[in-house]
Amino acid sequence: MDVALISQILLWIVVMVLAFVVMALIRQVGVLHSRIAPAGALILDKGVAVSSPAPQVTAADRHERPVNIGYKGEKGQLLFFLSPTCPICKSLLPSLRSLARSYREDLDVIYVSDGDASSQQALIAEHGLEHATYVVGPEIGMTYQVGKLPYAVLIDADGVLRAKGLVNNREHLESLFEAQAMGVGSLQEYMQDKPRAAQ
Amino acid sequence: MIHPILALSLSLFLAVILLSAASHKLRARDRFARQLADYALLPESTIGWAARLLPALEVLVGVALLVPALRTVGAIAAALLLVLYSAAIAINLLRGRRDIDCGCSGPGLERPLGAPLIVRNAVLLGMAALVALPASHAALHGFGLFLIAACVATGLMLYTATEGLLANQPRLDSLSRR
Repeated sequence: MDVALISQILLWIVVMVLAFVVMALIRQVGVLHSRIAPAGALILDKGVAVSSPAPQVTAADRHERPVNIGYKGEKGQLLFFLSPTCPICKSLLPSLRSLARSYREDLDVIYVSDGDASSQQALIAEHGLEHATYVVGPEIGMTYQVGKLPYAVLIDADGVLRAKGLVNNREHLESLFEAQAMGVGSLQEYMQDKPRAAQ
Repeated sequence: MIHPILALSLSLFLAVILLSAASHKLRARDRFARQLADYALLPESTIGWAARLLPALEVLVGVALLVPALRTVGAIAAALLLVLYSAAIAINLLRGRRDIDCGCSGPGLERPLGAPLIVRNAVLLGMAALVALPASHAALHGFGLFLIAACVATGLMLYTATEGLLANQPRLDSLSRR
């Protein structure tokens, strides 16, 4: 075997090992990302501040029954803003239904959407939301200044806004409840306040 | 005429990619059907049917690439499949629907549609075109076989690495956005 051939073989082995190392590194970065991904529902700095009274608004649901939002009541409210044209909203609906079931005692889930009635009807039929409180109209979204979907707002029984944010997965939804329990608006706020508290 | 080492390496590489793509789709058929529905190109009634047909096609093409006698046919079919996928992606990009999952990699590698996908498919398309060319008849012996194995292994690892990088990008963006 001449030296050139040996060198070729060795170089190929080195290239393969290097490619493996690069792949493994990127895989590890991906795992790290998925560990820190449930960073909480993202708050876009608009609308009402967390821990202040929620704006009071009354809208008619799709059966023309009035729905009061932001008033004192027996239960808290979770507003879920969605649209039939948003794929992520639809993928969250099963999680939301199970959350609604487990917090049934102290939380009303209100679905808020806007737009074309026939596609709303299709969405309601597909996800079994016939008995849910489902509001179609722009009033609530405008009052709470919702810019991006899917968006969720958590209001407690005293009518105080406890948490809000853009929710892209079940962890984000659950983080709203976590935020309520800790009395912190969002992870971002928590991270910002922590260094200050330590000083 | 291309050298058989090149032809074999490329066809093996493409076959592994197609077969692994098909296995993702077959293992999570509901998820794939949802991804197909999100592309909003097919009428609702055909989606269940297409979600079974596409992975089956991928398996057939992948196997054809591995059989020497069927390699040219397999390469052309692979190219057609890639053109079909790229067209679906391009149509949705033009519609401005960038927020849907591309459904192009396995679980844990979800990422939105984007131009890099078109580039990736173009590269794969180029490879398929090379495989479709007739290969010369050179005898393969020890080092040639080693070279094929090394090329395919390295190529697949770098491909996985690139996929990983592209999937991490939106996650990184969402972390640094503030």
